[in-house]
Amino acid sequence: MIKSIWELFNKEDLFECYQCARCTGSCPAAMVLDHSYGPRETLLRCLNLGQEAVINDERIWYCTTCQVCEDRCPQEIHIADLLTAICNLAAQRGNLPEKIKFSVDLVAKTGRTLVISDKVHRDRQKLALPPLSPLAVDEIEGILKKTGLNEDLELS
Amino acid sequence: MPPKKVQRKDKEEPRIGVYVCQCGLNIGAVVDCAQVAEYAALMPGVVLAKTNLYTCSDPGQEEIKQDIREQRLNRVVVASCTPRLHEPTFRTACQEAGLNPYLFEMANIREHCSWVHLHDKEGATLKAQDLVKMAVARARLLAPQQELEVPVHRQALVIGGGVAGIQAALDLANSGYKVYLVEKEPSIGGRMAQIDKTFPTMDCSICILAPKMSEVGRHPNIELLTLSDVEQVDGYVGNFQVRVRRQARYVQDSCTACGDCTQVCPQVAPDEFNTGLSMRRAVYRSFAQAVPSTFRIDMDLCLNKHGIVACDRCFQACQKRCIDYADQDRIMHLEVGTIIVATGVDVYDPTPLTEFGYRKFPNVITSLEFERLINAGGPSGGNLIRPSDQRIPKTVAFLQCIGSRSKRSNIYCSNICCMNTIKDALLIKEHWPETKVIVFYIDIRAFGKGFEDLFQRARREGISFIRGVPGEIIEDPESQDLTLIGENTLLSQLYRYEADLAILSVGIEPRKDSPVIQRLLNLSTGSDGFFLEAHPKLRPVDTPTAGIFLAGCAEGPKDIKDSVTQACAAASRANILMSQGKVMVEAITAQVDEALCQGCGLCVKVCPYSAIRQDPETKIVGVTQASCAGCGTCVAECPFGALSQRHFTDAQILAQIEAVTEETPEKKAVAFCCNWCSYAGADFAGVSRMQYPTAVRIIRTMCSGRISTQFIETAFRRGAAAVLVSGCHIGDCHYINANHQTEKRVKKVWKKMERLGLNQNRLQLAWISAAEGIQFSKKIKEMVEIIGTVTLEEINQTKEVLVPDKKEKKKGEGMNRDQEYLGTL
Repeated sequence: MIKSIWELFNKEDLFECYQCARCTGSCPAAMVLDHSYGPRETLLRCLNLGQEAVINDERIWYCTTCQVCEDRCPQEIHIADLLTAICNLAAQRGNLPEKIKFSVDLVAKTGRTLVISDKVHRDRQKLALPPLSPLAVDEIEGILKKTGLNEDLELS
Repeated sequence: MPPKKVQRKDKEEPRIGVYVCQCGLNIGAVVDCAQVAEYAALMPGVVLAKTNLYTCSDPGQEEIKQDIREQRLNRVVVASCTPRLHEPTFRTACQEAGLNPYLFEMANIREHCSWVHLHDKEGATLKAQDLVKMAVARARLLAPQQELEVPVHRQALVIGGGVAGIQAALDLANSGYKVYLVEKEPSIGGRMAQIDKTFPTMDCSICILAPKMSEVGRHPNIELLTLSDVEQVDGYVGNFQVRVRRQARYVQDSCTACGDCTQVCPQVAPDEFNTGLSMRRAVYRSFAQAVPSTFRIDMDLCLNKHGIVACDRCFQACQKRCIDYADQDRIMHLEVGTIIVATGVDVYDPTPLTEFGYRKFPNVITSLEFERLINAGGPSGGNLIRPSDQRIPKTVAFLQCIGSRSKRSNIYCSNICCMNTIKDALLIKEHWPETKVIVFYIDIRAFGKGFEDLFQRARREGISFIRGVPGEIIEDPESQDLTLIGENTLLSQLYRYEADLAILSVGIEPRKDSPVIQRLLNLSTGSDGFFLEAHPKLRPVDTPTAGIFLAGCAEGPKDIKDSVTQACAAASRANILMSQGKVMVEAITAQVDEALCQGCGLCVKVCPYSAIRQDPETKIVGVTQASCAGCGTCVAECPFGALSQRHFTDAQILAQIEAVTEETPEKKAVAFCCNWCSYAGADFAGVSRMQYPTAVRIIRTMCSGRISTQFIETAFRRGAAAVLVSGCHIGDCHYINANHQTEKRVKKVWKKMERLGLNQNRLQLAWISAAEGIQFSKKIKEMVEIIGTVTLEEINQTKEVLVPDKKEKKKGEGMNRDQEYLGTL
């Protein structure tokens, strides 16, 4: 169990940020969020207000880890790593949004991120695509156990 | 000359006075100065030990003088700040009281102790005691020295013909000295000639520069060497021999600059002066106000390369017959007393920042390109047109901090871009008031006189300042209009701005060819690549090499006013040397004991200054005192102890090592630091209050090349847990390349340690520059970790197995005269 995001991310690196906002200016998630919430503000909150100011915020889960922010950061701060660290701690504390939890559950049970409905099967048939074969769920379960993710997320 | 025995017997017993400075609270708040003084009073040879609030103050110095006279002190030790700051002060005080200044010694208990151990008062006091003990041990062995007087040539060389070089050359020429002004380009003028207006006064740049340029051209004391490169610099302060290559111009000086040749030339190339926005011919003049106004042929472009005349149109067109295809490079040999380096800067090329699309989108330009576009003498006749369709833009965006304050380019603030953008934005508003101008910034740094006023004026004129630099620029492929996407951080809102033209406000960086000048003149650079001044506050235009001064952006980013100010300062500093006509050389040169010299010639090979010559018959060597810079690498190299360095003798340094290792050596590391880089780096760590543990004791030598294998081994033999050898980075050595010998010697000891089965990790070699305080403190922390791993058994084993080589024993014999002297005490 981790107690602090600083176990996963070197806090020293954050002092180099001077809030130029090139990260948020490049962020695809910021484009869909209210008040353009993005990496810049997350980083500033972490630094000035501490991790508790961001850990319960559902908006952090909009990060797709596309790493464009990191690519353009003039100070070469590993922003995506910071966001991942926040998500990890949030997940451990059970602050996982329902939708994300549902997705993980789905992967654990079916090995897929999407629900395969009957319509999907019919559509595939129409398009002459081969039917979807069942996936090795045991293996995924093994991975989840090994990484401890099933306990963290209290998966059924 | 070897000191004579008789002299030594005459020597009085050392009577050392120790002054422990509190430096207000700088030292006193951490180090128990009274305890240090009490400790010092018990050391052999010390007759008095006092504490002072400020030893460097007049009363403090007066007290020392009085004690020298009344207490018959013949050695003085001051424990205070770094000798790099106040050694000259106290030396002068000693001299005024009739004591030879070389009988003075300093212990650095501020930069190397109180400032870096703020939270360990006990440890700091113990360390201060050790540092004083080392200084006293060394002081006992100090000998009086006479400085050598060297004449100074009353001629100066200025490298670089930008505004700083122009100003420095004019100041020196007007003071009556002959000045050689060397410029690489065909004309002087530099960056300032390319700029349209200057901030904050909005003066026309070339209008105020051109009169100065023509004054240089016609000044009887200035010899202007354009299209010229400095190829070699030899000698020392007051007596530099400089070799300059004047490239062939292929147009004689009788040119009247009528321009008939250019009209007929068939060859074209991008015009460098207009940043490639227009074309020039192979025979051309950089710009209308160029000095000298003589045209030139670019032989790489001309059809007559390699002497085969395929085209002679310009020759036919020239009525005065000035064209000379057979012109050749000329080599000039100059004798100068002082050198001013005003080599200027390059402009950052933003091509690597692909998200802004520079060079991909025609309507994204740099601020220097903008200067040429808005300049009446530029390619568009002063019309700000966008490159894609030559239309006057309705919306212009400026992007700040491009190539500055970033690990992806240069980490420093380029100093001029904020004000330059504000000036440029106002220029656009002046010419085309309806234009919408938006400045995307991170911080606006309007710190100079009149700068804030200009910033306020820009805001009142309707220029928008948006905090937050765009994440990217995208282009509409058809209209080639631009869209800037980013976040306004003050409103926490994403923006999308449409703009016709985007100007990247690019930073400035050291010239690509500045390493050449650095090597030729033996300068040092900071981590940013700019030339380093001798002291950031008190010697801001001097370089560590005597007789060489810095002016303009070569030293760091600065605007025109600061460049001119610095040029005046550099000229004034050079003037001091030349008006005195002589200079005293510090008495730290190497000397030969001819009786001990075996003529092996090893010293001749390692001397970076070729100051040692060998008699062809007897093979015995001699040192040219005026050429010797005092690095001492020859002394460390000599296997017979025939060479010694004045004021840094083997005995003096060994006495320091012995003092460090007298008590609990197993908990300490001995560090050898060169005066210019690593000792200065340790000072910088102190000034910056970077905290590190107290376990390391620093011994200062002028160059790391002075550190012989014997010193390292003695430290280990005396039980030191670890040894650090530290010098300038390879290539940055203040004694040209003496630190190559350092590396060689450390490797030699490593090898020996490996052979004897000792832990090589205990001997560390680190290159630390004067600007790398952080690296220094990191290295010390590393050393402390190493000390923690060394066991007592290991140390005892070292004492047993690490015995002196045969050679070293011989060297010891050579040192007998010092030992003998020790015996008289």
